[in-house]
Amino acid sequence: MLDILSLLDITFFLLAALGALVGIIFGAIPGMTATMAVAVCLPLTYALGLHHGLALLLGLYVGGISGGMVPAVLLNIPGTPSSITTTFDGYPMAQKGEGERALRVCVVASVVGGLISAIVLFLFAPILAEFSIKFSYVEKFLIILLALTVIASMSSNMLVGIFSGVLGIWLSLIGTYSISDGGNGKTRLMFDFLEPYLFEGFSLLPVLIGIFGIATILLEAEKGVKSGLSGKTINIGKGGGFSFSLFKGRATNLVRSSFIGTFVGMLPGVGGSAASVLAYTQEKNLSRDSSEMGKGAPQGLIASESANNALTGGALIPLLSLGIPGDSTTAVLIGAFTLQGIQVGPLFIPENADTWYVMMTALVFANIVMFFLMFYAIKHIAKVVLVPKYILYPLIVMMCVVGAYAINYGIMFDVWTLLIFGVLGYLIQKVGLEVAPLIIGFILGSQAEVYFVKSLESFGTFAIFFTKSPIAMVLWGLIAASVAFSVVMGLKSRARRRGEES
Amino acid sequence: MEPGLTSLLSVSIDFETSHLFFPRIIHWLMGGLFALILVLRILPFLASVRRGERTLPILGESFDKFRFFGSLALMAVYFYLMAVVGDLFPYTGYGFLFVSMVFIFLMSLMYMHTRTKRKVMTAAINAIVAPSLAWFILAKLFQITLP
Repeated sequence: MLDILSLLDITFFLLAALGALVGIIFGAIPGMTATMAVAVCLPLTYALGLHHGLALLLGLYVGGISGGMVPAVLLNIPGTPSSITTTFDGYPMAQKGEGERALRVCVVASVVGGLISAIVLFLFAPILAEFSIKFSYVEKFLIILLALTVIASMSSNMLVGIFSGVLGIWLSLIGTYSISDGGNGKTRLMFDFLEPYLFEGFSLLPVLIGIFGIATILLEAEKGVKSGLSGKTINIGKGGGFSFSLFKGRATNLVRSSFIGTFVGMLPGVGGSAASVLAYTQEKNLSRDSSEMGKGAPQGLIASESANNALTGGALIPLLSLGIPGDSTTAVLIGAFTLQGIQVGPLFIPENADTWYVMMTALVFANIVMFFLMFYAIKHIAKVVLVPKYILYPLIVMMCVVGAYAINYGIMFDVWTLLIFGVLGYLIQKVGLEVAPLIIGFILGSQAEVYFVKSLESFGTFAIFFTKSPIAMVLWGLIAASVAFSVVMGLKSRARRRGEES
Repeated sequence: MEPGLTSLLSVSIDFETSHLFFPRIIHWLMGGLFALILVLRILPFLASVRRGERTLPILGESFDKFRFFGSLALMAVYFYLMAVVGDLFPYTGYGFLFVSMVFIFLMSLMYMHTRTKRKVMTAAINAIVAPSLAWFILAKLFQITLP
């Protein structure tokens, strides 16, 4: 225990606090997300060492998700996709001059959501890890298959979701079939003249930074980089008006929404908007006094914000116990771990107990810092919403370049990867493919290959994937269930649309 | 299990070509999925485009061509020149420092909708201070490699 305390120096806490602050700013600026904050600030961690780096990144993650509430309440623009339901009640309150009150309700809900999910993470991840330690290649492959199916079934169209995931896998296979993984060291899926650049395939971080940084800028550039704020004024209202009595009788809502957020966060690749929408609709359906929701009721804010902050802990569960990222931000975190030479997976927690406790400390501390920063300084933070984009975007491109270039100690091709995947990420979103499955496919693709091919090499039959163990059968059951869920939901929404048309 | 089924499911992978085994499966999957999407999604979509109900992505939309292609071109030139200038002063990070200043200033100007003296001055100061700060913190304090 003392070992861990010695790791928690003052720098550690300062970095977590700095992360939370910068994250809040990123989240508060519409069009910039927590994922972008983590991706853009990654180069800062190259020199920091694992624990300090994690403190910064987790701070950014928590802050980035929370910051989204600021423009949601004040401008009716969700700062991050996960705060979309915050606009429903937050903006009406701001129009009534209760902006600060609304924001403080959000802050309290956020910190409760964040802490509940941290507790669930702390209790649940080690158990899941211990359980999955016994998995052989067969079960590991099926886990990846399950993850991709769940992501795809949560996409707006399952077929498109699966295709995006498979495309991600395809992109990850470019390069050699690595000898260190038991492959034959030959290259595939590329032209010979590209071999010097692509021998090891595309590096993970430039791909992620390109898709989340450069592509976002291209999407904005296409729209003309308008501020979108012309004529909008920030109306934060008078101070005061907030008291904790607003939470009286809302404990059920708070806890339920936090658990919904945590659970949705656990599902791989499912974004924040799903969590807050689900929590919001549950509150609307189950609460006795839901008639005011949508017109400025604090209970809507409580549901939305506690759910979206609970995502953070939830999304870390599959990452730390199975090595599968729960959302796109944790996908970037995988990059940070790889950078430090640490493989996340079932062995992570048992073998890196120190790191695990340090992470939990950072997560809880970041939530607390976020609370105090936003609760007391919300008036000042609210102003960053208006920072002009013509100042910000060039800086983001610059930070993206640093991140991509420095990752492998100065490879110019990684910077070009940034541009390639920036354009690809732009095109993907324009033609309607989904980014989350693609990224998860890209991250897990090469592992999936090794598990799949090695399983077949040792057992010599496809049947092994069904008959290896009871766990394999359970996993197939879950895969079937998630496909069935998606099909049923698809049919339901189609029926509803028909009903509305006729 | 039936002997026929067993032989159908059995597979042996030649080590020499094992690097192509999984990609081949992925290709078939991609092909199959694409065919399904083509029939179920793309063709109906194109039909509605032809009827004029919807527009094609990218091609049929109105978008800010100047800022979009300008951003692309500026980034490409930025990445290219950074390496070129960086090679003139190896291991100093000057390529990054100087080219970033120019890039940030130009991109700021491009994204501005109305150019007042005050805005241009802010952009100029930003373009000088931000790369210097990044260069100082990363290259000097943290010893991170920069072009």
